[in-house]
Amino acid sequence: MSEWWSYSLSDLLMFSPRVYYRLFEGFNTAFWLPNLVLLACGIVFALLVWRRIGLAGRLVPGMLAIMWAWVAWGFLWRYYTPVNLAAPWMVGLFAVQVGVLIGHAVRPKDLVFAWRGDFSSFVGAGMLFAAIVVWPLAAPLSGRAWQGAELFGSAPDPTIIGTLGMILLARGTWRWTLLPVPVAWCLISSATLWVMDQDIAWVMLVVAWLSVLGGWMDQKNGVTRGRLP
Amino acid sequence: MFREMTRRAFLARLAGGVALTAFAPYAMRMAFAQNATTPDLAPATVPAVQPDPENVLRKTIPSTGGNIPAIGLGSWITFNVGNDTALRDECAAVMAAFLDEGGIMIDSSPMYGSAQDVIGYGLARLGLPKSVFSADKVWISGGDNGPGQISDSLKKWGVAQFDLLQVHNLLSWQDHLPILQRMKADGQLRYVGITTSHGRRSDDLADIMRREPLDFIQITYNPQDRMAEQQLLPLAQDRGIAVIINRPFQGGRLTEYLAGKPVPDFAADIGAQSWAQLILKFIISHPAVTCAIPATTRVNHVRENVRAAHGPMPDAALRARIAKAVAEA
Ligand SMILES: NC(=O)c1ccc[n+]([C@@H]2O[C@H](COP(=O)([O-])OP(=O)(O)OC[C@H]3O[C@@H](n4cnc5c(N)ncnc54)[C@H](OP(=O)(O)O)[C@@H]3O)[C@@H](O)[C@H]2O)c1
Repeated sequence: MSEWWSYSLSDLLMFSPRVYYRLFEGFNTAFWLPNLVLLACGIVFALLVWRRIGLAGRLVPGMLAIMWAWVAWGFLWRYYTPVNLAAPWMVGLFAVQVGVLIGHAVRPKDLVFAWRGDFSSFVGAGMLFAAIVVWPLAAPLSGRAWQGAELFGSAPDPTIIGTLGMILLARGTWRWTLLPVPVAWCLISSATLWVMDQDIAWVMLVVAWLSVLGGWMDQKNGVTRGRLP
Repeated sequence: MFREMTRRAFLARLAGGVALTAFAPYAMRMAFAQNATTPDLAPATVPAVQPDPENVLRKTIPSTGGNIPAIGLGSWITFNVGNDTALRDECAAVMAAFLDEGGIMIDSSPMYGSAQDVIGYGLARLGLPKSVFSADKVWISGGDNGPGQISDSLKKWGVAQFDLLQVHNLLSWQDHLPILQRMKADGQLRYVGITTSHGRRSDDLADIMRREPLDFIQITYNPQDRMAEQQLLPLAQDRGIAVIINRPFQGGRLTEYLAGKPVPDFAADIGAQSWAQLILKFIISHPAVTCAIPATTRVNHVRENVRAAHGPMPDAALRARIAKAVAEA
């Protein structure tokens, strides 16, 4: 098409907010068990990242890889693709992140998760809280059905927010490789929510900005260069 | 239309909501065990007046002299509901009401996500009504890919052939038009057309209209987007090309803006009971316009829209008053 420049973002939105939110209702209703199990795992693992625990460096990226794969196949592929022609590309983006997460889970020098008390730790903790507690409440608080709650571990936005929270609580080399895909998703999601007239759109932008800022501050402070002593 | 709560209301409820969090897993388990809620749209109220298909204004397709009702049905966004059965049933209800009122043209495109499948679902539920005038599009780069896409579209609709195929947004039109013309010559298609919207590439479209034997064009026209009056509508009249009007309500922005604003008194003179009907009457009363294709998710809206083609139509003076009233509302 030769006139893409003349399209505004809202011209490209091909579904209504009502259809979008009902996707989560259908998804949660059909797959309530895996979605709740993944949420429970997410809560347990969110508790693991506070103190330095030996296996967390492998288990957390491994669990996040499973979550991302589930979001990609369970939600994006099965539910989002029929209403959004761009969804297959998003599945590709998620597949890349699954690869990166698996890489971190198996690499010899794994990441170390621990509370450091710095800016990134606070932001990371806040994001985990937002992903696990606040985001799912948005559905019922906005007058939508409980069944439509977007859950950490199965719905894209809270999974991305929680992933970024965990990354900010991690330390180790190559940690930055985990950032580009979630940050890119934040921008995509924010644009989608924005054209759907959803106030919550700004949250994803703030999440992206805080993640990049936290990553940059850690870089400056030497947090990402090595493991904790 | 979905309404997000205000941020203040959100925060107020959030404070209370956090307290609920401890019970969330239990509540979720309980909630998920039930079926997905059925759509919370209250069943649309059906106007008390009985459908009167005989009274629907029909306009001539210049290339054949046939005629079609002046209101059709679009499917962008409104029919892209994926595999959600409850929403598919709502779309089928809209289609049923549309046909019941005497409408026939349904417009779609491979670009509209699941809309073609949903139309197919609706048509199957309605027993493949013969009256439907199927208007679809070809939207793909390169002529080689056109026939494959068209046969996919036919499968999705569940029909043997389309009444009208249009090159969507002029994409690869040089490749697609000859293929569509050949299909028409072979009796696999009744009409050939081309579309654009938002006033894009009007000059290119005008060139094509001058050079190619087209049955239909599809363009945007409404009291707020009147660019087509300058060139495309007169040219269509000159060249004997039927005109379908998309985005009659500017994708809903116009009706949303006008909602709650008093409908001008003169609307009653032409039997218009709402802004939507006034706008549609403005559009279809243009002599070059063959039909407008508003899209909707609601049964009461589709009935209201088709009924805009009932009764008297505005003359030039009244059309000017409608445009002024919309602009000043
Ligand atoms: N290039 C192209 O080929 C092209 C481009 C654009 C559009 N199109 C075609 O043209 C069709 C129409 O354009 P569109 O869908 O973009 O926009 P539109 O028909 O101008 O607006 C659709 C919106 O109007 C609202 N509406 C419908 N009837 C109403 C009524 N009686 N009262 C109040 N609101 C009403 C609907 O909301 P409710 O659901 O609440 O009724 C819907 O949100 C498309 O669906 C598509 O088939 C083609």
